[in-house]
Amino acid sequence: MIVNDIEVLFGGQAGDGSLTTGDLIATVFKRMGLDVYTFKDFPSRIRGGHTNYIIRAGEHPHYGVADYVDAMVAFDLECVEKHVDEMRPGGFIIFDNTSEQLTEAVRRADVTYYEVPLAKIAKEDLGLELVRNTISLGVLSQLTGMDPAIVRSLVTRQYERKGEKVVAQNIGAVEAGENYVKEHFASTPSGYGLRARPDVDRLIMMGNDAIGYGALAAGCRFMAGYPITPATDILEWMAKHAPKYGGVVVQAEDELAAINMVIGAAFAGVRAMTATSGPGQALMTEGIGLAAVTETPIVVVECARAGPSTGMPTKTEQSNLNHLIFSGHGEVPRVVLAPGSVEESFYLTVGAFNLAEKYQVPVFILSEQAMCQSKETTPRLDLSAVRVDRGKLHRNGPLTFGEYKRYEFTQDGVSPRAIPGTEGGMHLVPGSEHNDAGVITEDARNRVRIMDKRMHKLVSMRPDLPKAIVHGDRSAGVAFIGYGSNRGPIGEAQDRLAAAGVPSRFLQLRTLWPFPEEEVRDFLAGAQHIFVVENNMTGQVERLVRYVTGPMPNMHRVLKYSGRPFRPIEIIEAVLEVVPHSNGVVPDRTSQPVHSAAPAS
Amino acid sequence: MATQLTPKDFATATPSWWCPGCGDFGVLAALKQSCAELSLQPKDVAFISGIGCSGKISGYLHSYAFHGVHGRALPTATAVKLGNKDLTVIVAGGDGDGYAIGAGHFLHAVRRNPDMTYIVMDNQTYGLTKGQSSPTSMLGYLSGTSPAGNPDAPLNGLAVALAAGGTFLARAFSSEPKAMVEMIKEAVRHPGFAIVEVMSPCVTFNKVNTYKWFKENVYHLSDIEGYDPSNRAKAFDVLTQHGKIPLGVFYREIRPTFEALTLKDSPAIAGLDIDRIDPKLAELQEAYA
Repeated sequence: MIVNDIEVLFGGQAGDGSLTTGDLIATVFKRMGLDVYTFKDFPSRIRGGHTNYIIRAGEHPHYGVADYVDAMVAFDLECVEKHVDEMRPGGFIIFDNTSEQLTEAVRRADVTYYEVPLAKIAKEDLGLELVRNTISLGVLSQLTGMDPAIVRSLVTRQYERKGEKVVAQNIGAVEAGENYVKEHFASTPSGYGLRARPDVDRLIMMGNDAIGYGALAAGCRFMAGYPITPATDILEWMAKHAPKYGGVVVQAEDELAAINMVIGAAFAGVRAMTATSGPGQALMTEGIGLAAVTETPIVVVECARAGPSTGMPTKTEQSNLNHLIFSGHGEVPRVVLAPGSVEESFYLTVGAFNLAEKYQVPVFILSEQAMCQSKETTPRLDLSAVRVDRGKLHRNGPLTFGEYKRYEFTQDGVSPRAIPGTEGGMHLVPGSEHNDAGVITEDARNRVRIMDKRMHKLVSMRPDLPKAIVHGDRSAGVAFIGYGSNRGPIGEAQDRLAAAGVPSRFLQLRTLWPFPEEEVRDFLAGAQHIFVVENNMTGQVERLVRYVTGPMPNMHRVLKYSGRPFRPIEIIEAVLEVVPHSNGVVPDRTSQPVHSAAPAS
Repeated sequence: MATQLTPKDFATATPSWWCPGCGDFGVLAALKQSCAELSLQPKDVAFISGIGCSGKISGYLHSYAFHGVHGRALPTATAVKLGNKDLTVIVAGGDGDGYAIGAGHFLHAVRRNPDMTYIVMDNQTYGLTKGQSSPTSMLGYLSGTSPAGNPDAPLNGLAVALAAGGTFLARAFSSEPKAMVEMIKEAVRHPGFAIVEVMSPCVTFNKVNTYKWFKENVYHLSDIEGYDPSNRAKAFDVLTQHGKIPLGVFYREIRPTFEALTLKDSPAIAGLDIDRIDPKLAELQEAYA
């Protein structure tokens, strides 16, 4: 059987260029009209240490890794040792046997090994050690049936900046790889004849780039940040692009400065954001309280990684949700949004800026390493769908001093904002408690009234909060709840469970705070088995759900906190442990998606 | 054409929370006087303050004022200026705010040289928390947190700023309002990060560094014959000498501001039209196609 679905693991030592070649492979698959998802599994160091890049391609979007690796390109024995257990029966491994040999321990009877002296060919035949990765691309291409013309055109594009000679060297390397396979291997692996489809007008984009692009489209013209994995890409993306649109990016001395800069820029009337990860978020906590109490609209991107403390800086986790929702002294309104794909990362970022300004609150965009640093094929991002809603921002002419009140009590809790430079709008913006005019006061009656005003915004914003998406069969007995990068593996588990006679419904939360109590309650009506799927140890979302539902004996936590994303089979197995199924066999993969792609909003 | 304003035009209706006799009154009066003499308009002044007795000053100057969190006034102000470079940005805070909890930001503001004025209201104690040692308290200073005498050497903020690349450094005394007004005006006019450290006695908790003590322990740079504020080595020499406290403008240097280096000639960001989506934005997708 030919399966037009493949997961390639490309691995070796950090700094050896495997990320570049991995990107190239992903783009080849994209040009072949396949849907692509990539996952970077790299160490927190620059050179050395095992690193690998997973590229998954198939005939419908997965938004996540598969159960197994189909094809491994291993530049050293360590890569095979670490990942041979993840190989699909019938899969194959391309191994560079120049300086190391495969050991008995890594040989599996159900896996085919293609030993190719990649480094030797590079050095001795081509005279250029650097092209080792490109040779492996030729080998992989020949073994899987990549389109040779596409491979050549992308290799050319990749290296044309470096001149004709480098392009020719790399094209030669691709050919050397292809020829080696033709000359040395009688058979090629069965089932991996990839078929190209027409490449419709799509993008292949990383989550962090989509966030940067969304911010720029939404009118963000100020960003301050402190470099931190896995959020730095956004700071770099904005530093590259924002100045062309009149914006500015500041590398702050720390996250305390970054968040206060963002607040300062927003106070001046600029759409502003920062991006960070757990450790930086910890430092920004005081700033979040300040933004909320001063009703200054800011957007904070949190690209979550494995904690606590320094944790595992390059690994994925969903353990920072509690921090975003509950951190800080005092009680303040805030919003937490969680995109479930690269495409949603763009649209929810646009939405975050509108929510922030319309309700004058800090808005978090919560992504994760497994999504923010992953690439996905995605439809073109629709700029005509972008609306800039600046809310009650006073922009027309002078105000009358004495009449204008920055924190005027209103029905929706939102007061008109005047920015510096506006005649007659002078006021104090205090982090201390204040009255409607911004004058600091500890008056008891005022305190209650202004607390109520600020917190009421959580109620008035409800119609504007991104709705959760229900995937699958709304009336099914099996119900999943999850968010973010788990949208992919849950969706795929649903497809395969359905094919085995176990239909399910899946509530993909996109607003995590204020917690969508009604949506959760409605969704759970009639559910027989509930599975809350999260990349953390303590079930942070499951606890939030329980606040809404009370104790639920049929609610199960499906947790993974190894720093790696779920593979769909792990979710399927968790379900089948408690849910009886008649068909008995859950397909390894499905050819047709059951769940629909999420609509943009 | 705006009419010439007076110091009263920069007053707010909010009564002060300072103790009678506090040095901060002198700072506030000098600030209002300076704003009026510089013909600033309240709508064009962004006044950012820190936390502490000194930080309360933002409530008393009629302007667009921001009273942030402890120690973070400088990053906030840096971004206000970047956001709207047409504003006159003034920052005020105490010795604790600038030299302790905000010391990191202080150094980096000096490095960046944003075009703004920073008034450090130095009373050598933590007044609002009732008299603990501060980063400028003298060695041996007795307080609730240093009952055996302050063991930490006082921080010389201006010398640190000079070492870090400061472009305008001055020190005033709150009992010498005329000189202070001149220094603040010069600081506001200075195209860069201008620091005016003001000795501002705490009459309630600091029983050592009193008005009387200052009068006996200050001298003026004008007393030094031929003092040249463009001479960095001399400024460093004067700032680091032990003994009496010098007052005046120590150093002045022109180098590109943070805004000039980051914004170049572009218009104020806050005035950009972001409501319409720039069609050029669509082209960015080609790199991903």
